[in-house]
Amino acid sequence: MPEQRRRRSPLGVLSAALAYAGGEALAAFRRNGLMSAAAVTTIMVTLLPVGGAVALAANLRLMTTILERQVQVVAYLRDGISPQERDRLSAQVRALPGVRRVEFVGRDQALVRLQDALGERVSLRDVIETNPLPDSLEVALVNPREARPVADAVRQIGGVEDVAFGAQAVDRLLAVTGLLRTGGVAAGLLLGGVALIIIMNTIRLTIIGRRQEIEIMQLVGASPWYVRSPFMLEGVLQGLVATALAALVLIPGYILLLARARDVVPFLPLVHAPDLLPTLVVSLGLGGMLVGMSGSLLALRRFLHT
Amino acid sequence: MIRLQGVTKRYPNGLLALNDVSFSMAEGEFVFLIGPTGAGKSTLLRLLYRADVASRGKVSVAGRDITRLPARQMPALRRSMGVVFQDFKLLPRKTAYENVAFAMQVTGTPPEEIRPRAMQALEVVGLADRADALPWQLSGGEQQRISIARAIVHQPPLLLADEPTGNLDPRTSWEIVQLLSRINLRGTTVLVATHNKLIVDILRQRVVELAAGTVVRDEDYGLYASHA
Ligand SMILES: Nc1ncnc2c1ncn2[C@@H]1O[C@H](COP(=O)(O)OP(=O)(O)OP(=O)(O)O)[C@@H](O)[C@H]1O
Ligand SMILES: [Mg+2]
Repeated sequence: MPEQRRRRSPLGVLSAALAYAGGEALAAFRRNGLMSAAAVTTIMVTLLPVGGAVALAANLRLMTTILERQVQVVAYLRDGISPQERDRLSAQVRALPGVRRVEFVGRDQALVRLQDALGERVSLRDVIETNPLPDSLEVALVNPREARPVADAVRQIGGVEDVAFGAQAVDRLLAVTGLLRTGGVAAGLLLGGVALIIIMNTIRLTIIGRRQEIEIMQLVGASPWYVRSPFMLEGVLQGLVATALAALVLIPGYILLLARARDVVPFLPLVHAPDLLPTLVVSLGLGGMLVGMSGSLLALRRFLHT
Repeated sequence: MIRLQGVTKRYPNGLLALNDVSFSMAEGEFVFLIGPTGAGKSTLLRLLYRADVASRGKVSVAGRDITRLPARQMPALRRSMGVVFQDFKLLPRKTAYENVAFAMQVTGTPPEEIRPRAMQALEVVGLADRADALPWQLSGGEQQRISIARAIVHQPPLLLADEPTGNLDPRTSWEIVQLLSRINLRGTTVLVATHNKLIVDILRQRVVELAAGTVVRDEDYGLYASHA
């Protein structure tokens, strides 16, 4: 039997390899139905809290951003300032680094606001005869953390009498929002890590169940990538199916929760479903695939080193 | 084709399985490797298909030193030889044909070559008509012939068999050994580790006897027991 080897194109070899890997992965999915179902269920169940944590973190982020945006520096202006001078001051403040927006609030407007804030129970007109409030500039910030330096810079400008930015309140707010953010990231990382470990173990079980197949592949001279590819594809497939199932729970779950939350606390800023869910599902899908594949690879390492 | 020079194999648990073994086989030879249980026959074969590494000495196959062959080059070595075991090692969910074709699929053989070559290998072992049977639908001897078909489908110059008749009755054992002889006559070098006295005595091939990890006899046209 003389050995006849036809010349073959790299593309032909690759497509044959892919066709083989795909066929084997699909066949394994069908044959090892129970193990595959177990792996898919495990991946799905671990993806759910990860998805939940991501949704929660996104909402916390939105809330903290909105809260922080409300931090502003108020510059009280000297009495009797002319409109030209006021425009010049306003432009000067706007030119400072870290300033997002400057709004002039005249003393009359300030009084109206104060009356609004006090409500109808107390009438300012009854208590005071003249308006004691000064003109002011409300300075919105790019970054709430820069409240102190911006306030200091504003104080230097001639025509500014006093500056207020609620130093203590800002510090506390920043501490809370910072905690929420790191907490969200930490929870996400923790859940993700736990998910990875659980998933890897599940995949390892399915691979141990097919040790004989791997042994024979190595015995007849399959290259390591040939041994790996069907298992990797299988892992990817499991990750994808699991993500699809998780999405079936997460999407209606989020929409429902959102509606309930809006009923209970209408003013709470929440991330709209269309803003969150597509990104969430796509990234979970990518994550699921990646985890499925790397889980397979890691689980295979032990068997390929013989 | 095969050359062992001063090969010693000590397992991690300290057990000395092979002790300073030297022996070689020319191309086209047929050799029986015999010896009592635990003599080191399987260990010697494992070094040849590089499932294990010698502690000392040199192992070469087809003129190539494989003593410390890097993992990267193992697929090439495995494709240049066929290996047959006592327990057949067939995949239970694949048919006879699929088990043979599997060896070609996983080594990247072009799909259009797989069918004719797998069928040809099945014909050599006389089981072309059972191509669609699953392993449990075949007798032990038939299963062993399928595993031999898988071992020769790459047309390797070397065939290693570790107790290929260990699970078979005398009549079937004889058929298997005849098949191995036929494959040898086509030019393949064949090394068979066995306990089977009858077939060694009938075939009168070269016999290498191991005892406690050393070669105690190397005799052309040998018998199972030495007549000394
Ligand atoms: N992986 C291993 N680790 C430790 N000791 C081993 C290992 N494999 C084999 N041995 C020991 O090495 C010695 C030789 O074993 P080997 O399997 O080569 O013998 P054998 O001649 O094939 O025996 P048998 O005829 O029973 O198959 C035995 O004592 C065995 O217990
Ligand atoms: Mg043995």
